[in-house]
Amino acid sequence: MNPRILLWLAVGLVVWAVIPFVVPRYIADLLVFTGIYTVAGLGIGLLLGHCGIVNLAQATFYGLGAYASAYCTVMMGLPSVVGFLVGAVISMALAYVIGRPILRLTGYFLALGTLALSAIASALFFEWDWLTGGTLGIGGIPKLDLFGFLLDRPSRYYFFVWIVAFACMAVARNLVDSRTGLMLRAMRDSSTAAAALSIDLQALRTKVFVVCALFGSLAGSLFAHHASFVSTQSFTVDRSISFLLIPVIGGATSIPGIVVGALFVTFLPELLSKLGDIHQILFGLALVAVVVLMPEGLVGAFGKLRARLAKRGGGNG
Amino acid sequence: MAEPLLAMKEVGHSFGGLSVLRSVTFEVPEGGIIGLIGPNGSGKTTLFNIVSGYIRPLAGTVLYRGSVLGRDSIQQRGLQGLVRTFQTPQVFEQMTVLENVMVGCTKLTRTTMLQDLLRTPAARGQMREIRERAEAACERFRLGALRDLPAASLTAGQRRILEIARAVVGEPRLLLLDEPSSGLNVQEIDDLRDWIVRLNEEGITVLLVSHDMGLMTVARTVHTLYFGEIIASGDMAAIQRDPRVREVYLGV
Repeated sequence: MNPRILLWLAVGLVVWAVIPFVVPRYIADLLVFTGIYTVAGLGIGLLLGHCGIVNLAQATFYGLGAYASAYCTVMMGLPSVVGFLVGAVISMALAYVIGRPILRLTGYFLALGTLALSAIASALFFEWDWLTGGTLGIGGIPKLDLFGFLLDRPSRYYFFVWIVAFACMAVARNLVDSRTGLMLRAMRDSSTAAAALSIDLQALRTKVFVVCALFGSLAGSLFAHHASFVSTQSFTVDRSISFLLIPVIGGATSIPGIVVGALFVTFLPELLSKLGDIHQILFGLALVAVVVLMPEGLVGAFGKLRARLAKRGGGNG
Repeated sequence: MAEPLLAMKEVGHSFGGLSVLRSVTFEVPEGGIIGLIGPNGSGKTTLFNIVSGYIRPLAGTVLYRGSVLGRDSIQQRGLQGLVRTFQTPQVFEQMTVLENVMVGCTKLTRTTMLQDLLRTPAARGQMREIRERAEAACERFRLGALRDLPAASLTAGQRRILEIARAVVGEPRLLLLDEPSSGLNVQEIDDLRDWIVRLNEEGITVLLVSHDMGLMTVARTVHTLYFGEIIASGDMAAIQRDPRVREVYLGV
């Protein structure tokens, strides 16, 4: 690796490690959410950027992960790792069963199909109060205990969440760079030609949907152990939409872009809320501005800007 | 006589009551170059879509290596060595030339999703193999200098060659070329003809659809389709002499 990149990486690592100790608690808390949203957003990014699929159902899998963790630890007294696993297995199974029929749809119809899934799941989370606690939710979810080290403060949980997020980013990067990644991009660019080259579109789309659900569930479990309390309002269609915004804002084909998108949807509303009631309108405007002015997301726009500056610099020098 | 690689038996098809293919029967012998000509709307592309699996025929059977290609999907046909190109070249525009060719290699190897997610040694090994094959194919098809460019930036002729390279790298037995000379200049058509001959000499059977009479001279047998029926068959010289073909196709 070239020494300059190595240097930047080292600086980044130091900054990353120091941040939770120097920022106020509520910022550390937001950074934990950024990590959680990065995990959930990675799945959506894979579908959107590499398969051209709009998934508006991520809150469903996020909810499944969160409820699985809550139910297993609070109601059944099982270790937290069981909650993570149960959530993952249920989410992946559901994604497979639902994905097979609805992934036959394309474009807007598929997006609406996933939206319907999110709406149904959100209604069921509300109705099945024997399982989810309904609007009252489930409280008292224990903090994670890592070999005797209790992750009970945002500044501690931060490290755990971000290590998981980096691992998920590495896994997503692996997928993009793999044979499967090639087939995904081929399918996105021309499904007709991809089929002629023996790429099984249906199976591939289903598999990525399952991976997306796994990320969603993982993020949900992380959320449950951070918030200690889960209730239906965290898993509504609104949440699905804000998850979709992550890759749209950051840049759907870029993995670091997911982090940028996650920062945008966690920090911006918080910063704007200081301005009073107008904050939702401002957030909406900022969103529209990014989508209209930077169709490739913030990371794509940054890349373009850098290319333009390099060109200008080259022209002068 | 040896079994033909592909045999069409009384294949018929219609769209909304309009009959586009009527009892079409012909064979493609292993190692041959067979041509299909016919004016626009004569049913050539429909026939192609039937062979490659995009359309299921309403009548008749298609035999490939002696067995019926009934419900086999496009993908299954591809895995059996039957690969097509498209009238308008279908390249993966946002991917580089090399990546396009790499996609053509993916069917030769198998990795599971889990192996790809975890980047296991097996997955890396297969990816290396795919890349090496694709690099060799790029050199061979003189796409080496273009290999890192996005396919969207290629000219029509380059796209055509890329599409053929991408199909050939997957080791087809039967290559179906749909109007490969459309949009190409004279020089490019000459190159294309050379490629068809060379690939055929290497053992790839070719079924060629075109209304380019010049390109058609590579075919050993040419079938002429007219309103969904084969009205003449033979080598190109015989076809050009055939009075019916002259009447309906050449307009003389």
